Amino acid sequence: MRRLLFELSFLKALFVVNLSSAMEYRASFITQIVGMLINNGIYFVFWLLFFDRFGSVRGYQIDDIYLLFAIVTLGFGLAFLFAGNAGANLAYLVAQGRLDYYLVFPRPLLPHVIFSRMIVSTMGDIVFGFVAFLFTGRFHPIEILFFLLSSVLVALLLTAFGVIAGSLAFFMGNAQYASQQITNSLLTFSMYPNVLFSGLARTLLYTLIPAAFVGAIPVQIVQGRDGVLLLGLAGFVLLLWLIATAVFSLGLRRYESGSAININV
Amino acid sequence: MLTQLRLTTTKYGAITLTNLQNQLAYIWDALGRAVFIILIMFIFVQLWTAVYQSQNTTEIAGLTLANTIWYFLIAEVMELGKIRHDTRITEEVRDGSIAYTLVRPYNYLAYHFFNGLAEGGVKMVLIFALGLPLVLYYAGSPTLTWAHLPLVLLVMGLAVLLDFFVLSIIGLLAFVTEDTFSFRLIYQKLVFILGGLMIPLDFLPDWLQGTARVLPFNLTTYAPAKLFVAFEWFQFRQIVGLQLLWLFIFGAVLLWQYRVMTQRLAINGG
Repeated sequence: MRRLLFELSFLKALFVVNLSSAMEYRASFITQIVGMLINNGIYFVFWLLFFDRFGSVRGYQIDDIYLLFAIVTLGFGLAFLFAGNAGANLAYLVAQGRLDYYLVFPRPLLPHVIFSRMIVSTMGDIVFGFVAFLFTGRFHPIEILFFLLSSVLVALLLTAFGVIAGSLAFFMGNAQYASQQITNSLLTFSMYPNVLFSGLARTLLYTLIPAAFVGAIPVQIVQGRDGVLLLGLAGFVLLLWLIATAVFSLGLRRYESGSAININV
Repeated sequence: MLTQLRLTTTKYGAITLTNLQNQLAYIWDALGRAVFIILIMFIFVQLWTAVYQSQNTTEIAGLTLANTIWYFLIAEVMELGKIRHDTRITEEVRDGSIAYTLVRPYNYLAYHFFNGLAEGGVKMVLIFALGLPLVLYYAGSPTLTWAHLPLVLLVMGLAVLLDFFVLSIIGLLAFVTEDTFSFRLIYQKLVFILGGLMIPLDFLPDWLQGTARVLPFNLTTYAPAKLFVAFEWFQFRQIVGLQLLWLFIFGAVLLWQYRVMTQRLAINGG
């Protein structure tokens, strides 16, 4: 327990350093956050226009989209605000031999690597997530609690998936684009109503590209106030983290140190 | 006069060819980046199939499901194949390397245009080729006739040029603002909705459609895609007229901006 608290305080220190570093460039910091708010806002406008024109599609309505956006953007924001090196950045670090820098520190490697970077624009996603939730009109304490818990689980899921995608670089070499495409696929699929997909595509969304666990299932949890499904989601996240840790550890055995001289700023 | 024209054509042609060779040398890398179009098109096909089914109709605003699917492929080709030189201009302004590129024996903006043509061209071909099997499977062959193809290609060319003008203006803003990220993002997102990338203008509510049709955003994406799937002479003339008008407006702004900005350039040290 003491060890865990110690590691958590280390991660907190990393977060504070990342935040101070990002805020040093104040104009860029604000621009990125506002930019992300606009980015998400445009998708929101699209769905507003879409449902205004077509009513509902296979039972999916604008209210479902509000909740879907709230959970996915908050989850994504939390994941990459803290663990900005998960995904394509991890693949880049591995391919460039930049893990050397982290290997010499007496800290657990995986959390140290992925928590060493903050993607500033994700603060815009977090703000957007809360704003989108206000549109849902779901203010029952249980719904708010389930919304927050689901979003945290989604964040953990996205981070674990990012670790798996980034670890591909251990096996493939330059896997930056591949991991970026895989992570983008997960996110893109999760932002669309899953009722659109059937057959093999639907099976994929519950397995290889687990977008259903990022979007559709959390929406169901909040709408149905379904505690059992919430536990199921937590179980899936745990399983994915076990896989992520195993893939990273296996990959690390194949890691070859880079000869380039790198300076981490 | 003719010799000068020949020399200029040879010079900028060489720039395009050199970058084309670069692009082809890393074709697998470019292919890897373009493969995302398959996923995008798959989602669009599922979404719009569901829409046509739920509306229980074969046509929405004059477009069949097959038209709509083809529309999105062409719109994506136009969007993803755009010349992204504005980020390079911004970087050059920020790190000062523009001081070296400006003194080279070519027009700075013309260099970026002809250099970008190769990259954009390769991306357009790859995106079209990757999206084609999926579109053919779900929507069949396009309805465009061979006679209309050169006219659609003309609109595509003007669309690329118009987008180049807008992005050049955004890139050159770096002389004043240093960071152009937010301007680029806002422009890109306006193209998403008012440019018809995510939803054809014909499907927008009337109050928004009227405004969107005269703004320049639709002329870079919606215009070529719409003419590709449902060519109409009246709309063709209207689109080309608007494209030329906006090219004139943005061209004048760009020339003025380029002159003013380069006069502001301050070079310190060597």
